Amino acid sequence: MEIFLPVFFAFASCACFSVIYNIHGGGILICAFGGALGWLFYLLSAPLVGDDIVQTFVAALAISAYAEIMARIRKCPVTGYLLVAIFPLVPGGGIYYTMEHAINGEIDAFLASFLHTLGLAGAIAVGVLLVSTAVRMWNISLRRRKERAL
Amino acid sequence: MDYDLLLSAAAELGYGLLESGAEIYRVEESIQRFLQAYGVLQADPFVIPNCIIVSFMTPEGKTMTQVRRMPSHGTDVDLLERYNDLCRRLCREKPPLPQVRSSLSELRRTRRSYSPPALLGAYFIGIAAFTLFFGGSLRDALCGGLCGFSVGLALHGMTLLHANLFFKSMLGSALAAFLAQALTALGLGEHPQIITIAAFMALVPGIIFTNAIRDVMAGDMVAGLSKIADALLTGVAVALGAGFALTLARLFWGV
Repeated sequence: MEIFLPVFFAFASCACFSVIYNIHGGGILICAFGGALGWLFYLLSAPLVGDDIVQTFVAALAISAYAEIMARIRKCPVTGYLLVAIFPLVPGGGIYYTMEHAINGEIDAFLASFLHTLGLAGAIAVGVLLVSTAVRMWNISLRRRKERAL
Repeated sequence: MDYDLLLSAAAELGYGLLESGAEIYRVEESIQRFLQAYGVLQADPFVIPNCIIVSFMTPEGKTMTQVRRMPSHGTDVDLLERYNDLCRRLCREKPPLPQVRSSLSELRRTRRSYSPPALLGAYFIGIAAFTLFFGGSLRDALCGGLCGFSVGLALHGMTLLHANLFFKSMLGSALAAFLAQALTALGLGEHPQIITIAAFMALVPGIIFTNAIRDVMAGDMVAGLSKIADALLTGVAVALGAGFALTLARLFWGV
């Protein structure tokens, strides 16, 4: 239950956000499953790594791998599935706490949460980046093999 | 072949893709494939987030170029998928150019979008779900839904007025943070922080940031860097707006 409920909420919120970004039909379900999958990986990796930046990285890896696979299956741009599914990982809380510390004049806490927010954003970036680079290399090697076969 | 028509069709295809939020490399590749499908040997499209330049040489050795300026735009996944499908189809079937032109303009005419009530409903439920996701109670979720609803309404209104992204994010987050504090002061909400953070999800630049990273990885540094700057500015705008509202709320209720 502890894992099921947050994953379900991630599913529901991603489904609604895919409506906001004008996704129709089956795409909504795909995005929502992507969001839920990402959060599942985030929670399951918690006992193994115990650090939210690494957890975010693992979740970003899972989501972008899922989005690339879905894009191949449906022959659609990856962007559509990736953008919405990544939403639960976006450090909205980080921005909020950074701002709150700044208002209260707590410079140390402000810097700490600012850097932490940047770290979370960087973790998402590196996760997405690794998978898309791997897919690119895989595609090129496939093309080479095809050319050689000819 | 009428190369003027081909040039404007290629530019229109790129314009549609970029406008609906495609990555830079996808726009460039699509234009290139389209031109190659119609027998142009050397085609060089150059795309940055607010400009498209298409240039190619006809078999007679004449150079043709068109520049399209792209205004600020959002993301429309449905339109993006349909432009992508159309591009694949055109490259495969190579229909005559007047037909290409009519199918491009038809795509623009039959653009699907959700009605404003459906969008506002999505904002309501989406932000309510995020409130629960961040550990809020059911009453918090109701407040979060109300915040999401008003943020959606404000964003929609400001888009109609062509407000810029920075101002939209600032006003949206100020509204969300102020409403969260007000609803808590009225006794409906319990955790104003969680409500505000959930409402932030509709404003934070997650999409711009992810897109920027994909562009950088594809080697489009100009596009990637300008989008990263965009994402950072939007993040700052969200923080500034909420900071302003929070200071105001402290003056009112002293929380």
